[in-house]
Amino acid sequence: MKATRRDLFKFAAGGAAGLALTPMPWRLVTDTALWSENWPGIPRPARGEIRTRFTHCALCPAGCPVKARCVGDQPVSLRGLAGRPLCAFGLTGHHLPYHANRVSRGDPEGAAQAVRAALSRRGANESVAVLDLRPGRTASWTYRRAMGALPGGLYLAAQSGLPAIDLRAAKTILSFGVPVLDGWGTPANVLAARAQFRLIEAEAVESHTAMLADEWLPLREGSQDALASGIRHILTAGAAGIPSGEAAERSGLPEATIVAVAQELARGDAVVLAREETDAVTELNRMLGGRAIVRRREAPAPFHWTRTAAPVTRFDAVPDQSIRALLIDESVSDGYFPWDAVERKLAPEATVVVFASSRAGYGAHAGFVLPAAVYPEIADDIPAAIDSTAATFRLAVPLVEAPATVVNPTRFVAELAGVDAGDALRERANAIEQSGRGTVLSYTDSRSTPLRDIKADAFWKILHEGGCWEDEARDQSPGEPRASAPAVVAMTWEMRMARGPLSPLVTKLYQESNLRVRT
Amino acid sequence: MTHRGALLFWAGMLAALGAGWAGFPRLIYRRQPQPVAFSHKIHAENAGMKCEDCHEVRTDGTFAGIPRLEKCASCHSAAMGTTAAEKQFIDRYVTPQREVQWAVYARQPENVYFSHAAHVKLAHLECSSCHRDHGQADTLRLYEEDRISGYSRDIWRDMKMDDCVACHRQRGIENSCLDCHK
Repeated sequence: MKATRRDLFKFAAGGAAGLALTPMPWRLVTDTALWSENWPGIPRPARGEIRTRFTHCALCPAGCPVKARCVGDQPVSLRGLAGRPLCAFGLTGHHLPYHANRVSRGDPEGAAQAVRAALSRRGANESVAVLDLRPGRTASWTYRRAMGALPGGLYLAAQSGLPAIDLRAAKTILSFGVPVLDGWGTPANVLAARAQFRLIEAEAVESHTAMLADEWLPLREGSQDALASGIRHILTAGAAGIPSGEAAERSGLPEATIVAVAQELARGDAVVLAREETDAVTELNRMLGGRAIVRRREAPAPFHWTRTAAPVTRFDAVPDQSIRALLIDESVSDGYFPWDAVERKLAPEATVVVFASSRAGYGAHAGFVLPAAVYPEIADDIPAAIDSTAATFRLAVPLVEAPATVVNPTRFVAELAGVDAGDALRERANAIEQSGRGTVLSYTDSRSTPLRDIKADAFWKILHEGGCWEDEARDQSPGEPRASAPAVVAMTWEMRMARGPLSPLVTKLYQESNLRVRT
Repeated sequence: MTHRGALLFWAGMLAALGAGWAGFPRLIYRRQPQPVAFSHKIHAENAGMKCEDCHEVRTDGTFAGIPRLEKCASCHSAAMGTTAAEKQFIDRYVTPQREVQWAVYARQPENVYFSHAAHVKLAHLECSSCHRDHGQADTLRLYEEDRISGYSRDIWRDMKMDDCVACHRQRGIENSCLDCHK
């Protein structure tokens, strides 16, 4: 009997049918998928004994406390504390040092030479400036000192001197495009106060906050001032602002809606939040005089810093084409300016140096991009959040060591200016300790202790173990004018997702968390 | 010809079934004995020990997992008994203070975190709920490692994600991705 090719095919067909009825093909598919997860080069959580460390999340000014599970020196998972959950970004923060798009190399010597050369050819009306995207830090003081020491030095901030918003004291919030429920404040504070305030979100697009607000006013783009003036007209019985009819025409909202909003604001404890500071919004807030806007003291700083620091300059106050050298600290960022606005301020052939962990931001336009540490490698303090009524001082304690190639932006700028940066965080902590104000919360034992009962070294140790100092509440006498004009240039979570770098897990988590909130 | 063709088809099928069900599992798993002949039964019955005496949950909530040599040596600083296994253990590991390279049957993939504290201390689950009668066994069976994925065969038995999800559903416990995945 001769075996033909047809016989072979029949045998093979039987074999294929038989194999489909065994675990082999399915198991091979699964195993191959698992094998692909373990290719060389893929970062893996370390194995071993798990220990707990505390720090603060430096991804946004909320600075949420973080409980990190670490194996050796490597964090393998992050989570918040009881009642103080982390957002999707915070939960995946420990992935960031391994991001594929991370800037790993730069030319710090070349950048320093370029800035020095720019300084030497600086014109009479030209300046060298630092743009700080997270003002209020200890690093910000170093920048200000450095710019104070340089001729023509300017310290520019994305936002500065903002009053705090006490959400617990607000019954009605009229928000002009501020992402109140989407990355604006501290998640735990917003969640805790959410049931107590009514949120009216006025913006042209149906953002996440607009979807979750109690009322969404889909006003026309650019008609924020018209609506604010219309409301003011109603509240002052026609003494100021524009008639509600005109406001309705310009904003595209029904006049009855504007009247209803004005009546609601008039009931008291109302606050108006705006993405951009305008006179109309400032006036409206001044008229409402709500308790929710609080002027907050800044955490104490060493006296010699305050004496030599350059003032904070508003970015839009800088003349066009006047910046000869611009250094942008993008290592942590809470706000940003569109590049065309930045470019307008630059002198022809200006030198731009960006400190960043990714090229996704200003790095695409800069002459030099110097690699900066990324959370949780970063050693930095986090300024008080917008919804924190008292000053705070808490550290983002490094959980992993930064690569040797990263550049410390503050040291770079300080060396350029010949300023001794020293151990600025420790100096700041000492200044706070000497003030004797406020209390210190230690997460390791959940104890709150008055600062005056703690010695300087112990205070520093608590801060390094993830502790937090909070200033005492400041009594505002009835006659003292409250802060006004809460201009907010906050980055929403959506904006963060667009600018990166972010863990690949974030998209899924973010969408999942949204679904949970909506249902 | 049709009869011959059917015969060949069935022969091929039978060969494949045999290879897939009998041959493949032998081929895919690498088998290795544990480095020490350890008896859970002797420790549980003769020494009256409980699981958590060695596999403890620390005060900070972390799980010690497989005990380190230090833990074993706290009782076995010198030979306890005259068996060859005991002598070998003392000579090879305790005296030179060399950690035992245990092959962990229940080791989960790299991207999974399982909290023993939450399950044992808070939910009061018995160890045997997931580890079956491992704590009563007199000998340690061969460790079987998947040659392709590198994972233990045991995690495909009662420790798959489906098993976790089914148990959580049964108890009405909400879970999200990051509860278990790093």
